[in-house]
Amino acid sequence: MSEEPREQATSLQGRLLQIAIGLGGALVFPIIAILLSFAIGAVIMLVTGHNPLTAYLALIEGAFGTAEGFGRTLLYTTPLIFTGLAVAVAFRAGLFNIGGEGQLYIGAITAAWLGVSLGGLGLLAIPLALAGCLITGFMWGSIPGFLKAYFGAHEVITTIMLNFIGINLAYYLAQHPLRQNGPIPGTESIPYDARIPLIGLGLGRANFGILIALLAALVVYLLLWRTGLGFRIRAVGLSPGAAEYAGMGIGTNTVLALAIGGSFAALGGGVEIMGVYGNMDVPFVANLGFNGIGVALLGRNHPAGVVLGALLFGVLTSGAQEMQFATDVPLQLASVLGAVILLLVTATKLVELIIGKRARALAGVHLEKGLGG
Amino acid sequence: MAESEAGTGVAGATAPVVLEMRGVTKRFGDVTANDDISIELRRGEIHGLLGENGAGKSTLMKILYGLYSPDEGEVFVDGERADIRDPKDAVSRGIGMVHQHFTLIPRLTVAENIVLGAEPRKGVSLDLEGAIRATGELSERYGLRVDPGARVANLSVGVQQRVEILKALYREARILVLDEPTAVLTPQETEDLFGTLKELVADGLSIILITHKLGELIGVGDRITIIRDGKVVDTVDASGTDEGALARLMVGRDVLLRVEKTDVSVGEPRLAAENLVVHANTGATAVDGVGFEVRGGEILGIAGVDGNGQTELAEALAGVRPVEGGSVRLDGEDVTSSGADARQRRGLAYVPEDRGNKGLVQDFSLSENNALKTYDERPFSRFGLIFPSIMRRRAAENLRAYDVRPADPDARAGSLSGGNQQKAILARELSGDPGVIIAAQPTRGVDVGAIEFIHRRLLEQRSEGKAILLISLELEEIRSLSDRILVMYAGRIAGEVGPDATDEELGLLMAGRGTEQSA
Amino acid sequence: MEDFLGSLGPLLQSTVRYATPLVFAALGGLFSERSGVVNIGLEGLMLISAFAGVVGSKFSGSALVGLLVAIGAGLAFALIHALMCITFEADQIISGTAINLLALSGTGFLMVVIFGSGGTSPRVNGFESVAIPLLSDIPLIGKALFDQSLLVYLMYVLVPVAYFVVFRTPFGLRLRGTGEVPEAVDTAGVSVTRMRYYGVALSGMLAACGGAYLSMGLLSAFTEGMTGGRGFIALAALIFGRWNPIGAAGAALLFGLFFAVSFRVNQQAVPIEFVEMLPYLFTIIALVAFGGRAIAPAAIGKPYRKE
Repeated sequence: MSEEPREQATSLQGRLLQIAIGLGGALVFPIIAILLSFAIGAVIMLVTGHNPLTAYLALIEGAFGTAEGFGRTLLYTTPLIFTGLAVAVAFRAGLFNIGGEGQLYIGAITAAWLGVSLGGLGLLAIPLALAGCLITGFMWGSIPGFLKAYFGAHEVITTIMLNFIGINLAYYLAQHPLRQNGPIPGTESIPYDARIPLIGLGLGRANFGILIALLAALVVYLLLWRTGLGFRIRAVGLSPGAAEYAGMGIGTNTVLALAIGGSFAALGGGVEIMGVYGNMDVPFVANLGFNGIGVALLGRNHPAGVVLGALLFGVLTSGAQEMQFATDVPLQLASVLGAVILLLVTATKLVELIIGKRARALAGVHLEKGLGG
Repeated sequence: MAESEAGTGVAGATAPVVLEMRGVTKRFGDVTANDDISIELRRGEIHGLLGENGAGKSTLMKILYGLYSPDEGEVFVDGERADIRDPKDAVSRGIGMVHQHFTLIPRLTVAENIVLGAEPRKGVSLDLEGAIRATGELSERYGLRVDPGARVANLSVGVQQRVEILKALYREARILVLDEPTAVLTPQETEDLFGTLKELVADGLSIILITHKLGELIGVGDRITIIRDGKVVDTVDASGTDEGALARLMVGRDVLLRVEKTDVSVGEPRLAAENLVVHANTGATAVDGVGFEVRGGEILGIAGVDGNGQTELAEALAGVRPVEGGSVRLDGEDVTSSGADARQRRGLAYVPEDRGNKGLVQDFSLSENNALKTYDERPFSRFGLIFPSIMRRRAAENLRAYDVRPADPDARAGSLSGGNQQKAILARELSGDPGVIIAAQPTRGVDVGAIEFIHRRLLEQRSEGKAILLISLELEEIRSLSDRILVMYAGRIAGEVGPDATDEELGLLMAGRGTEQSA
Repeated sequence: MEDFLGSLGPLLQSTVRYATPLVFAALGGLFSERSGVVNIGLEGLMLISAFAGVVGSKFSGSALVGLLVAIGAGLAFALIHALMCITFEADQIISGTAINLLALSGTGFLMVVIFGSGGTSPRVNGFESVAIPLLSDIPLIGKALFDQSLLVYLMYVLVPVAYFVVFRTPFGLRLRGTGEVPEAVDTAGVSVTRMRYYGVALSGMLAACGGAYLSMGLLSAFTEGMTGGRGFIALAALIFGRWNPIGAAGAALLFGLFFAVSFRVNQQAVPIEFVEMLPYLFTIIALVAFGGRAIAPAAIGKPYRKE
């Protein structure tokens, strides 16, 4: 199947234009998915008797309008970067990581435990506890990897099952061995000087965890495009046949990719505990793992995209509170929008219908789970 | 035309024409698969359609069956013009097709497969007994022994084929097209099949038999139409011709520009296979005791029709497919249990036949593809890190040296034409200065300019004392490059010839008619 | 001994009750997957139907109306999944996950809009237990099997019906062909697209029955997230039962037993969290034991494109 090789521009302008077209092409699908979902959201609001325009304006206002609101947005964005990265790394290897939720909880309980045990060390406790999260998350994530590599057990179901198991395990630990003395079910609180410091500047409870998240995104970028392991992961994900012919072991890389994904999600859990909550209550937060899937797909499984996707979801979640306050639209609408985005973002033929087949070919976009870095 | 007495003796020159395809032309992009082809089929006739791989036979029959529509030309069934848009149309006109790759559902039974889509009913439910009965009746009538209740997955290939034929007969086909039916059969099964075909025409059916195995056509065909490069070469009576003549008609062509081959002194054996037994994905034996040696400074060509074990042989030699018996040696070292990367490090280069899915990662850049096997070695890598800028620089050099267009290391591999992709693979494999090169179908789907380039490169490697194993379906390529030629048939070496062997000799060996080389 | 026998009856009764939604969902998954479409969204379909059923029952006062509304909702959402996967060729697993998220967030949203607040809905009329005379007097199993809600009896009927449809009707034959070798079905003149839509539609309607039973049979209200992973467990039951209605029902019964046991365990002896883990743990073990999807319908998960 031969195509005309594309004209390679030599001038700087030409090159920039090509990058812009490439980027634009890559972003076309996510953007259309987002616009469509907002449109659908508008319809839902109209049907339930609300004004979409004022609602969306309130949403934006809530997410960016005030320093405190922006701080809240950062708070919601941070864990999503982690769970998004967890999904993206696995997708790069051609695997579905739906276990972000459980992995996050494992990290959270690890941090809740280590944060208390090492609390006396002050700020030094943070990197140590987070390192612990990386380790436990890695081990937890490797389980579905092994099951797939050696038994062919499909990782979708095993990671989902491990969510429930992981959450229950974390809750057990929080309510028995690690339980605090007192009426509220949950772990002991980490001393304040061992927590991730707040940013201040009027940003409310936003803390430097966002910097850790951005650092994690950078690490993923380096991992995927600057290490031999990342090279293998991408090759296996894009063409298992060619990877096998080149002598790359598919099984090992399966395990590693899922394990690494697990460690990032766990890190996210750890940052939530050490930066926001200080301990793990029972029940704890929910759905960060699943939203990670939407974040990863919106971001085309690229760390930079994941950060932007997480920001979008963070805006939705944070702004929704203001939206509910100002216009009575239930804040669950934000989650609904997120789900619709996920529904649409891989529907390639739908986008083709909208922008036409030629436009898609022009963009030269390839919708497999990765995107050439 | 002499009266045809061969084959069944039923079809005479006076039998009515049941099918005519007139002036059919079909193009796919630049390639003209069918070029003004006209054939006719008489009632009660077994008409052979003979040609090499890619000659255009399958395309023509797919047009007949409604899977493609012709760019030009018309089809007439029983004298009436027929506009066949899809298989349903074809079936309604009494045309049945037995594909080369069966469309059977392994998990279902014979009867279920046969009736699917036209099921006998008993009220709301499926009349399974009725289906079994109908199958039994057809089976009796035409001598096609099958067990209606058996699962297709458990059947041998020969019996599966009978089920495919029964599918067509159940839908009351009067014209039956069989596409390479004996490609997957044993000699005994082939005899059974031909017996069946004779029964069918005795009953008034008319059959088109697509094949490259000329010997069979002489035995069972009435008339034979030879197709070459999309055009009809001739239509002959089976009785008035012989295998040699058919081979010449099928294979002969204008000689392409042959590349100059210098004399090179041959060295030690660098690649050796001994008694190799390899299984295909299905578990069947694909390579059945093959042994040979390739010396430094020589090109050993392996000719043969597709599907006789060449693919599995190449994969086993390269270390990508496990070996069930026998051994592989590289420069004297036994590498039978080593993996692909170990063999690559020992100086084995492999240009696979499936360049799209196995040779390149389509979504990687040319730079990344160039480093696909060496990304974890210096200078591309240190302490687990890789250096894309160094990869890019090396790739740019390689790409230029091998005339890859565009020679842009950042270009996505999938955006290149077939010829350029192949050159890129060659650049990667040869730049590591390998000692042994396995090239499988290296110029398949490649433009003429690139073919010439690739051939020159292979000969260069030969002059440098490398051992080259060339596997190809193109006889011209085999002849112009090889120092020695082995022909593979049914997983074994059918014989060895030199590059000056005649078309006849090669054709016969490829068809399984030749002295067997003792393993 | 008497004590044991005495507690066995109620245990069996519980088992049947907990198994019922799993059986419905597994049967739903069966029709979808037999046609070649993965349906990870069973969880979401059950949840949305559970909610729809409660809404229908609340505003009409009739559980039957609730059931019909639930089936309608299940069908509608399943058709969305079908549209995305079959016509728009979206990734089937992602589409299914999106359905789950949509159901979770959508029901939360609608709870506020319709009932004014999240959490648990007001109580509604459900399907009360109806004892079948004579049969329910059989010792030990009588109460367990024949003193149940109408939906459970529906489930008893549907299992053999599903078996009959899949293995004894032309529709079932074509459905199975579509999931194994769509090319064969296509060349035989049957529309692969249409068969797949049917398969997914049926999965929605069956899963809806399961969801309706959750909110109007097992309990009498809707609680956010009440499906708790049952849709995935149903998938595991399907795999365990080798995509056969009888096998899947049997596996679902086994999982039902785990649920029933988990509510009876002495909480001093074993922490509740470990007991709750059991069904999920067992699912993983089942998957490992059966080599994942080695025996799944051959063409599953891939969009069908004509040559």
